[in-house]
Amino acid sequence: MTLRAVHKRYLREFIPAMFAYVALIILYGAFVPRTESLFLKVVLALLPLMPIALVIRAIVRVIRDQDELERRIDLEAIAIASTTTGFGFFSFGLLTSAVDWKIGSDAVAIWVLPCLFASFGLAKCFVAWRYRAHE
Amino acid sequence: MNNHVRELRGERGWSQADVAERLDVSRQTVNAIETGKYDPSLPLAFKIAKLFGHQIESIFIPGEE
Repeated sequence: MTLRAVHKRYLREFIPAMFAYVALIILYGAFVPRTESLFLKVVLALLPLMPIALVIRAIVRVIRDQDELERRIDLEAIAIASTTTGFGFFSFGLLTSAVDWKIGSDAVAIWVLPCLFASFGLAKCFVAWRYRAHE
Repeated sequence: MNNHVRELRGERGWSQADVAERLDVSRQTVNAIETGKYDPSLPLAFKIAKLFGHQIESIFIPGEE
């Protein structure tokens, strides 16, 4: 299977931005415990948002420029994933409150993005399967 | 909506990948159109009609409401 130009461009934009994101997360993990400066901690915490802006740009551009069925599949998958993740975490919050679980908010927040990506992947497989016919 | 895309493609001996490349869409999109899983937009329907040298209404047949 060969990638179309629009998807090659997406990978060219997405992969370096994610590498930069991971590098800045590692930087955060390495330096935040070793510094007392609140300013530096804030900078290190917010720095990974910069490559995320590039990731958002890459995602928007691929959705805009791919063909109409691919766009429909992605948008349906995003709708399913964002509502599932949003309401899922809200329900999880209600559950932890109801049963009085002591879970740190940072431990919960850190799982939002992986859950969103994972649910998008699953939703995309499901939506694409619905449009696929027996050949 | 039904269509004659598969027949027209077969007459020319093209694969779905050939049609996809000519229309600048994915093979998955061509397959979904052929099997009626997806109805193309008007601009894409015009591109398909132009590719096969037919009128849109001779390729795409409205289904029953």
